[in-house]
Amino acid sequence: MSDIRLVNLTKSYGEGNAVSEVNLEIGEGEFFSLLGPSGCGKSTTLRMIAGFIRPTSGQIFVGRDDITALPPERRDIGIVFQNYAIFPHMNVAENIAFGLKLRKMPKAEIARRVEAALKQVGLVGYDDRYQRQLSGGEQQRVALARVLVTEPRILLLDEPLSALDKGLREEMKFWIKDLQKKLRITTVYVTHDQDEALTMSDRIGVMSKSRIVQIGTPQDIYERPKTLFVTSFIGHSNVMDVTVARRDGDMVVVSLDGHEMSARGAADLQPGTQAKLVVRPENILMGAALGETGPRLAATVLSETYQGAIVRYRLKRGSQEIVAERQNQAHVERFAPGTEITIGWDPGWSEALTA
Amino acid sequence: MSVTGGRIALRRPAFSVAEAFGGFRLWWLVLPAFLFFLAFFLVPLVSLLAISFNKTVPGVVTLTTAFTLDNFERIFTRSIYYSSILRSIGIGIVVAAIALILGYPLAYLIAKTEHPGRNTLLMILVLSSMQLDMVIRMYGLMVLMGDTGLINSALIWAGLIHEPLPLMYNTFGVVVGLVQVTLPFMVLSLIGIIRAIHPSLEEAARSLGASRAEAFRKVVLPLSMPGILAGSLLVFALSISSYVVPALMGGWKVMVLPIHIYQQIAESGRWQFGAAVAAVLFVTSLIAVFVYHRAAVWTSGGRT
Repeated sequence: MSDIRLVNLTKSYGEGNAVSEVNLEIGEGEFFSLLGPSGCGKSTTLRMIAGFIRPTSGQIFVGRDDITALPPERRDIGIVFQNYAIFPHMNVAENIAFGLKLRKMPKAEIARRVEAALKQVGLVGYDDRYQRQLSGGEQQRVALARVLVTEPRILLLDEPLSALDKGLREEMKFWIKDLQKKLRITTVYVTHDQDEALTMSDRIGVMSKSRIVQIGTPQDIYERPKTLFVTSFIGHSNVMDVTVARRDGDMVVVSLDGHEMSARGAADLQPGTQAKLVVRPENILMGAALGETGPRLAATVLSETYQGAIVRYRLKRGSQEIVAERQNQAHVERFAPGTEITIGWDPGWSEALTA
Repeated sequence: MSVTGGRIALRRPAFSVAEAFGGFRLWWLVLPAFLFFLAFFLVPLVSLLAISFNKTVPGVVTLTTAFTLDNFERIFTRSIYYSSILRSIGIGIVVAAIALILGYPLAYLIAKTEHPGRNTLLMILVLSSMQLDMVIRMYGLMVLMGDTGLINSALIWAGLIHEPLPLMYNTFGVVVGLVQVTLPFMVLSLIGIIRAIHPSLEEAARSLGASRAEAFRKVVLPLSMPGILAGSLLVFALSISSYVVPALMGGWKVMVLPIHIYQQIAESGRWQFGAAVAAVLFVTSLIAVFVYHRAAVWTSGGRT
């Protein structure tokens, strides 16, 4: 049974739509990310779930309850903001106790829960500190503790890592995910960072221009993008112009400058039409790594960039540049610029998309 | 697990005045202002305070070394004078309170109006009232509030009253006049502070279970305190030192300290006694600054 259900959720401002007909079901205990560039409507969607923005049309359900018309304080939904929104006139303990005091809980019980919450987020002994005495990571933990102590039904996270520096961001990514797993709390996470979404989510909803364009597991989204937008927004891709030749069971046969090759493809690809063939850099095979199946194409090495764990190649095939990446493992074959090589890919790791 | 670093924005940069002024050289830029302040504010003020310790001789302004507390003794023993101190303070407090109650919602509205055009319009409304000379504005009020003014004429014409209501030449009139004059100062003191309260703080409070009113009372209002205190201090100081408003709206019947000062010096030529009343007014303002400072420390919970 789904915990959050958005039905045709729409928000318009004047002429344009910030969010258009979003339909979404999020399961109990699921970590769901809304991923997209700024202005795609992900934050507006989150703020409608929180109750700060009234939808123009559509409904929001939590469990069986339609909460579309409820004010934020009656939704039982916790939110952590990008700037953490720690109350600067209260110390850490008072911040965490804020929601409990509003619930008229006895003082002793509040003190006990605040201590437990501080322990949970690893901030024991921070009771008396004020916002300006806390680092960004500490503020984030306080913000989480303040929300979780009220035991909300839903947790909303609005780009909570974007204000942190890189090292801390990596650390907090796993810390938040672990905490969420432990508490089994249904979570909606808004981010423009594909790494965060891929690492933390059970499922991702990719948004573009006010609409959800694809929903799926991180693996689905990365390996089976449904549109060129998803392809280009998540990871790097080589996009090649092809013509659809014919369907072949689950696969589709396309023609790339006269070379016919098999690829995965959407059912709506019509023979004879133009399409785009998408292959990730790490799936471009070179030299001895080429497998039994798939295309064989001649290419010239333009440059080789050593990046530590991976080596990156810029290749020229016909008139097009192709980027390939290989793991820098033991005995890996290296290619000097100018070398003529043969490249290809596994058909199962190439995707034909509507142009 | 320990977490360090990652300090976020939304914070004032910490820099010292000395750094900002690049050591000593930039202090030269402040010198003209300092000299002006010294020559045209500090020197006259100190001489006025000094003369208040001389015996009152009508028509004589020369400072002598024969210091006495006679003038002050007179102020604190004659009820016409010491009751004026209390009246001035009382009017100052009431005006500050009314300006706060009227000004806060207006300042909140302006602070939260993001539409640039509407925001400018509201600001012009507030500032335009400050563009007119105070005397002209008071005459405007007198046209409205006098015995044969618009309000009384309208009420009598409507048959609601038979005698004109005493709207002017009393404390009520003075308070209305002072609120009119000081309201923009209150609003301007509040706008910046309210605008600096990040909207997410209010939203965080709401989603933690606070109603709109609770979020205001527990988050927005406490964080507005610096503006409330600064605005109140400003309005209080302007009110107790105003001469024009009590003179015109009070018709010399509401005896506040500036009226005494003017009467003593301009009408009776009793410079020494007038200076003593001015000294009392000055000390009252200083006490207000002290109270403001204590309140600021107290409401910030020792954070500053």
